[in-house]
Amino acid sequence: MPSKEIDMIKVLETKLKGKPVQIQLGHLGTAAVQASAGAYKDVLKAMLEADEKTAVTAITGIDLGANIGVYYHIRTSNAFITIQAEVPKENPKIATVTDLMSGAAFHELEVADLLGVVFEGHPSPGRLVLPENWPEGIYPLRKDVKASEVKLNPPSTVDEKLSDEGKLVKIVIGPQHPALLEPEKFAVTVDGETVKNVEPRIGYVHRGIEKASESRTYLQDVYLVERICGICNSCHATAFVETVEKILKTDVPHRAKYLRTIILELNRLHSHLLTLGHAGLEIGYETLFQYFWRDREPIMDLIEIVTGNRVISSSMTVGGVRRDIKDTDIPKIKTVLTDLRKKLPFYKEIYENEPSLKMRMQKVGTLSKEDALKLCVVGPVARGSGVDIDVRKDEPYEAYGEIPFKVITYTAGDTWSRMNVRMDEVEESINIIEYALDNMPAGAYRVKVPRVVPAGEAVNRVEAPRGELFYYVKSNGTAYPERVKVRTPTFANIPSFLKTAIGESIADIPPNFVSLDPCFSCTDR
Amino acid sequence: MIDYLLLIFRVLVFPGFTFILFFTMFCDWVERKIEARMQNRMGPSFTGPSGILQPLADFIKLLTKEEITPCESKKTVFRFAPILAFSVLVFAMCFLPFDGSSIIPNVSFAGDLIFVMALVSVANFLLFLSGWASANPYSSIGAARVLTQFLGYDIPLLMLAIAPAFLAGSLTISTIVSSQWLPFAVLAPWAFVLFIITMQAELEKDPFDVPHAESEVVAGHETEYSGGKLAFLKLARDVQIVFGAALIVVLFLGGANGPVFFGLPAFWGTLWFVIKLLAIVVVSEYLTVLFARLRIDQVVRANWRILLPLSVLSLILTISLAVWIYPLV
Amino acid sequence: MTNIATWARLKSPWVLHFNSGACNGCDIEIVALLTPKYDVERFGIKLEPSPRHADVLLTTGCVTEQCAERLKRIYEQMPQPKFVVAIGACACSGGVFAGNYNVVGGVDKVIPVNAYIPGCPPRPEAIIDGVVKLLNSLKPPKPIKKEAKIDAE
Repeated sequence: MPSKEIDMIKVLETKLKGKPVQIQLGHLGTAAVQASAGAYKDVLKAMLEADEKTAVTAITGIDLGANIGVYYHIRTSNAFITIQAEVPKENPKIATVTDLMSGAAFHELEVADLLGVVFEGHPSPGRLVLPENWPEGIYPLRKDVKASEVKLNPPSTVDEKLSDEGKLVKIVIGPQHPALLEPEKFAVTVDGETVKNVEPRIGYVHRGIEKASESRTYLQDVYLVERICGICNSCHATAFVETVEKILKTDVPHRAKYLRTIILELNRLHSHLLTLGHAGLEIGYETLFQYFWRDREPIMDLIEIVTGNRVISSSMTVGGVRRDIKDTDIPKIKTVLTDLRKKLPFYKEIYENEPSLKMRMQKVGTLSKEDALKLCVVGPVARGSGVDIDVRKDEPYEAYGEIPFKVITYTAGDTWSRMNVRMDEVEESINIIEYALDNMPAGAYRVKVPRVVPAGEAVNRVEAPRGELFYYVKSNGTAYPERVKVRTPTFANIPSFLKTAIGESIADIPPNFVSLDPCFSCTDR
Repeated sequence: MIDYLLLIFRVLVFPGFTFILFFTMFCDWVERKIEARMQNRMGPSFTGPSGILQPLADFIKLLTKEEITPCESKKTVFRFAPILAFSVLVFAMCFLPFDGSSIIPNVSFAGDLIFVMALVSVANFLLFLSGWASANPYSSIGAARVLTQFLGYDIPLLMLAIAPAFLAGSLTISTIVSSQWLPFAVLAPWAFVLFIITMQAELEKDPFDVPHAESEVVAGHETEYSGGKLAFLKLARDVQIVFGAALIVVLFLGGANGPVFFGLPAFWGTLWFVIKLLAIVVVSEYLTVLFARLRIDQVVRANWRILLPLSVLSLILTISLAVWIYPLV
Repeated sequence: MTNIATWARLKSPWVLHFNSGACNGCDIEIVALLTPKYDVERFGIKLEPSPRHADVLLTTGCVTEQCAERLKRIYEQMPQPKFVVAIGACACSGGVFAGNYNVVGGVDKVIPVNAYIPGCPPRPEAIIDGVVKLLNSLKPPKPIKKEAKIDAE
């Protein structure tokens, strides 16, 4: 389908003539639009009318002293616009955008929780990431709050009243549940075995990383952000160092770009194999789980050869990577990848022909293309519903602009499609790594960068295995960042689960849940 | 006097209670090893030679744990359901002829096939009660699934069990066994295959593993149990699996019939019975490992729309082909 | 009798895994223990779904405020005798997150811990080593042989 080349800047310039907005090209993405608290909704409306693929990537809240900045980062099919609005600290009220884009609900709740901004008209206000016994009126991300001085209220009794309103029974899944690797709570209201409503409560893994990053240097922050999630740790590290490099206006050496691409793709391989196996466990197919994880172990060995550790390796640093690949290791890497490639047809056949698996996965958790666009989902969840967004193709970073690969989409939008997207992406990753190894340029793998970063701000996006990962970093001229904002892919994808689980059987919740590949340590930070 | 001692030996030791207990643990070990090897792993390896004492270690460890009774549970039912379920199943086993005659001697009566299957239903109902008595939503859902599944699959199971009864001309287990010079698996293979599949559902093994779906209902009806009561719940499940396999052997594979080479015919009878039983356990475990778990509504649909009509058809087929089969019986 | 009980407990430790605010690194290494390369079922270790069935609680992660209450509850639901293993630097002391708001710190601030396995994340071999050391500590100590006193007289 030929994509209309929509020039978003021209659209904005024409539609917003005479409104109190200022467009700054090349800043914070394709352009930054400074709008007052009243006018920013018009900007959003104009963008939505022009391009149906407009979606909110993140909403950053930042303490600017007398005001609180509320920045809307919006992605379209070929542009990335940041709308900057400000509200006074004494009266931080701003209108909600959930009437235009329902996917913005979670983002607004988080800014409300952590910075105290009131979004007027929000459909379901309440706590998102902070615990219930957090004292009222204290907003952690404001500059005057010191992390060690916050005193929490004594914890309330944890007894959940399982309301028995007639036939409806409320079951609480989590925080400890065999289906979940991480603690989070879903209060599921069921009628017999059909799900009527799902109420999530996240924040069990909220460790205050964004606040902590402001009191550590940039290099120490690399160690901090890669422990946001142990599975996609290299992606977090890459996104952060790339943002800092954008502020520094440094270019990393060509070889470093290829090395980073290889590490990122190895990360994607191990993450996808993990999810494919975990899905088997959820539908009771333990044999498939064991086979996938058996084939994942050689990839962990490869990660150890390339980066030095199996899981969290701190191989990225501002200015390049820490280690180089020895030429003697390359044949070993290629052998393992060839073995994995030979095993893929076996798994593909299971997904195509195994009747019990198809019965559990097909037509389960269906997300239509319209819902996928409205809820602003990312990653394999979006690609399984036919929305072809992939940051590696939309805004190439590292060496992705030079390496040929395909973006995989399936149209059915059910659990089976999402798992198939991941399985095909495994093959694409193997192709990318082999191409990168064959065409690796010679040269340095690291440049020296100053410890003190000049004042400035930048945004950056990276395609993590779960979807689009977004970072915003603002520096104030010292060795410590002013603000680091992270928006993880699962944060954007959870609302889709709340929609697809309704109306289906309670037994469909585990496979549906795993198919969106949730990572709650990413979500809560 | 000697008769009484022999009777006690027979009921309590061999082939009675002790034998059933240790044989169940042995079958549990066989199942775990098969599951592990099919999944490319080793399975229990260090508890005794090749891990053969692992189920025994599990059992003893559970007996030494603290037993917690939730304060909101229905205490009497909670306490007695596991051991009663186990006892009923062992009692049902005593009617099966392990070595040519039933374990409690001279108890077979006309129609004891129906009686034995009714006992299994009672045991399953007790397992449902164990989940109902724990005050826990996961236990209730697990218990409801147990009830749905065993009530539904009892009907095709009974219909398929009538086929060998019809061929033998009697509902008495000992008569069915003694009329199998050629095993009924050969004479009525359709009933044999369908019976294995239905038994897989009755025993709640994959793909019909719904009541034990860890990712959905935690541990199902066993969730609130700990210590000795949990040990007997798990043992009840294992004994049920051995019982199901023994029923298949008795109805379709000729029970303890087999060539006697020298010495006691009772010894050879038990040996052949045990070998056939192990073969069925192995086949059943292979089926378990190869499939994913179906949803409860798919399981229910499979029962009423597929297995029940097929079992009726199999009965009709057996009756219509009886004219040709009778001479071979 | 106690010998048999100890032998059974050593040979059949059933584990429950709880993530109390971890980044998932330690958790995927724990799940990797069940897979063919490491296969802890050889030692009789089974992953159990319900706290009432388990003997050993494997906790990962620095304990967040929201998880602290739940962790205590799960610990109380487990029947005696029970053991707690804190896996990873975060579970031992809070790791890189010590001092953040919403983070309590190590697991031993909430429940008593029997074994600490440091690492970020610890390798599966290290986790197996830690669990085996814990189990060996259950064995009764060998009796000390009384030295035969040979009188010089």
